[in-house]
Amino acid sequence: MAKKEKPVRMPKRPIWSGNITIGLVNVPVKLYAMIYDRGISFHFLHKTDNQPLKYERVCTKDGKIVPWQEVAKGYEVAKNEYVVFSKEELEATKPESDKRIRLDKFVDYFSVDPKYYNNSYILMPDNSNDAYSLLLTALQKMGKAGAGRITLRTKEYPILVHAYKGAIVLTTLRYSYDVVDPNTFEELKKLKTPEKAELSLATKIITDLSGEFDIEEYEDNYRTKVEDLIQKKLKGEKIVVEKPAEEEVKGLMVALRETIKQLEKK
Amino acid sequence: MSDRLTKVEFTNLDKILFPRLGITKAQVIKYYIKIAPRMLKFLFNRPLVLTRYPNGVDEKSFYEKDAPEGTPSWVKTSKIYSETARRNVSYILCNDLDTLVWLANLAAIEIHIPLSRIDSRTRPDFLFFDVDPEPPATFEDAALVALSLKEKLDNLGLKPYAKTSGKKGLHILIPIIPEHTFKETRDFVHKIGQQLAHEQENVVSEFSDTKKPGKVFIDYLQNSHGRTNVCPYSLRGVPTATVSTPIGWNDLKKRIKPADFNIFTVPSLKKDPWKDIFETKKNWRSNR
Repeated sequence: MAKKEKPVRMPKRPIWSGNITIGLVNVPVKLYAMIYDRGISFHFLHKTDNQPLKYERVCTKDGKIVPWQEVAKGYEVAKNEYVVFSKEELEATKPESDKRIRLDKFVDYFSVDPKYYNNSYILMPDNSNDAYSLLLTALQKMGKAGAGRITLRTKEYPILVHAYKGAIVLTTLRYSYDVVDPNTFEELKKLKTPEKAELSLATKIITDLSGEFDIEEYEDNYRTKVEDLIQKKLKGEKIVVEKPAEEEVKGLMVALRETIKQLEKK
Repeated sequence: MSDRLTKVEFTNLDKILFPRLGITKAQVIKYYIKIAPRMLKFLFNRPLVLTRYPNGVDEKSFYEKDAPEGTPSWVKTSKIYSETARRNVSYILCNDLDTLVWLANLAAIEIHIPLSRIDSRTRPDFLFFDVDPEPPATFEDAALVALSLKEKLDNLGLKPYAKTSGKKGLHILIPIIPEHTFKETRDFVHKIGQQLAHEQENVVSEFSDTKKPGKVFIDYLQNSHGRTNVCPYSLRGVPTATVSTPIGWNDLKKRIKPADFNIFTVPSLKKDPWKDIFETKKNWRSNR
């Protein structure tokens, strides 16, 4: 398979700046985005004249457009029953970003279940090269991660601060109650223990099919196809919608449906 | 968009693969889809060897052991050292419908399987008799030899199953528990062949006698590690689009012809004479 050069994206400006605080030690850092969702996104246009569409807030009672000044927030406590908050009331309760990444202890990075990983950011020194280098080297040497918390925008996150590819990286974590425990599924408790022979067969297969995981082997085919189409359209090429010979495919689909049904019965 | 019934992306569906009958690739794919419920169990966990006919059965074909370039990541493969190729080969395993459909889309008209599974590659789970008539001996002659063979095997308490090879002969298979070596199964098949050659004038069982005109050769050499045979229900790359088809022993008494079993007739066969084949595995012993 021919591998395409992937465009390297470097974040332009930091999304946050502040201090890593360990006890009395401060390391000034800037926070850059590390994870991008590079899916394809489209804008809605008016079909007849290709003009972009916009959203309006419309009152469900009289159908009139409501200006922002008249918008309040409501928490639904029962169907159609709300506790109403003004903007000011909510502002006052929001956690204030105190520009600190507080680390209260150091843990083994791999001891944290990956299911809790939420998002990662690259931390860069902010006129603090020496202190940054010291912290990075110490983390690398110990293989440990600092655990603590950060407030980003208005939300407080548990975090890990760890060394990754020669940088300090901050990974925000999910709260434990945001992750479902699979044991809530009763049927898991009723699984029977497999036969010894079956198990040894299964493990044999896994051994035979074992390999190294390489993320580069995976590609978003939909995205690549749409990007190709965009380039063609920009060059003024007419896009021919490729439909496989309809009748033949239909025949195959009928056969597939029938066979899948039969296989499920087995 | 239609709901995705298969992961396979079909290509060149209208390509003619059997020119004499005007059979397209779409028809070949459809055949394999329809036969999948009967065929998949024979493919399960066996490293495959394919005969691909990218330009139809009248043009050049090639054997393919290695998973070809562009094999989708969802196709299971198994790396095995190949004695003949002298290197590790990524064999394709066809354990699901999608893989079978994908093979058909590759114009892999013939699918060949070894007599053992990847979990016990040196222990065959079939005894295999290749009953091959050398002209002027005919399929009918082969059928008579196969019936005598059945009688012999029945008397030993074994349960043989027959299929057409899709060409001129017949294959007799006996499912066994995989606990013996290929040498043991090969010696046993050879011994039975020799007995029959001794009893019947038109039967030969020695490799040197293969091409003797008018004889029916019972080939025991297929019972070897790394050898592959055409899979039950595989199409053959011949102009008449025949299928290597499991048949009942009574059918053999009814003057059937290999060409009766083809891409058009096999999917609608009502009976499955091999239905219970994997349930009748015998604890076969080589020292009987």
